Amino acid sequence: MVQAVVRPEKVHKVMKSLLDAGFPAVTKMDVFGRGKQRGLKIGEIVYDELPKEMLFAVVADADKDLVVETIIKSARTGEKGTFGDGKIFISKVEESYTVSSATKD
Amino acid sequence: MKEVIAIIRMDKVNTLKHALVDAGFPAFTVRKVIGRGQGNVDARVIQGAVEGCPEAIARLKDDGPMLVPSRMMTFIATDETVSKLIDTIFKVCTTGQKSDGKIFVKPLVDVIRIRTGESGPAAVA
Repeated sequence: MVQAVVRPEKVHKVMKSLLDAGFPAVTKMDVFGRGKQRGLKIGEIVYDELPKEMLFAVVADADKDLVVETIIKSARTGEKGTFGDGKIFISKVEESYTVSSATKD
Repeated sequence: MKEVIAIIRMDKVNTLKHALVDAGFPAFTVRKVIGRGQGNVDARVIQGAVEGCPEAIARLKDDGPMLVPSRMMTFIATDETVSKLIDTIFKVCTTGQKSDGKIFVKPLVDVIRIRTGESGPAAVA
């Protein structure tokens, strides 16, 4: 499972890039969070939880690197990226089932 | 111990909740999510494209399959009870249509009950 926390304004670009790369199956949810920078301080106001989108896709082991690279390229702001662009986490999925056919994949 | 993530239709959540209580799985966490699988295209979008509507054509061409709101239910189970949990989900949620959803089974490194500090299988029960 590839789980990516990305900026909300980048979600459309990330999902389109994944679709074009051959990975249409993605689920997304609204989350809030912060990284090591402890949020944003703009003038006097501190935003200590920032809205992000979490995307996840279950892919074959062989496809993992391509998926990660696709997400990084499309979710980054600018050439080098900035704080707040997000993180990607990889975890193992042992089994996967399709509900409509009630079968194991 | 396993983490079982089921992405299912919104209208199946309540029925599944009750069925799972009967089957011995009262505990879950649920989140609203939006997503897509391999790609059902809504018949209305196809109809719109056939009729020449520019938005429908753009959608078919550019954005790929539509995003559909669903619910993600997360459970924890011991290795022995996982298949019963999955069978109960199939019984309630399988309608044969492609947007029924998916189930993912992931290994859990540990489970801890905050109230007592127990960990491992004792915390799953």
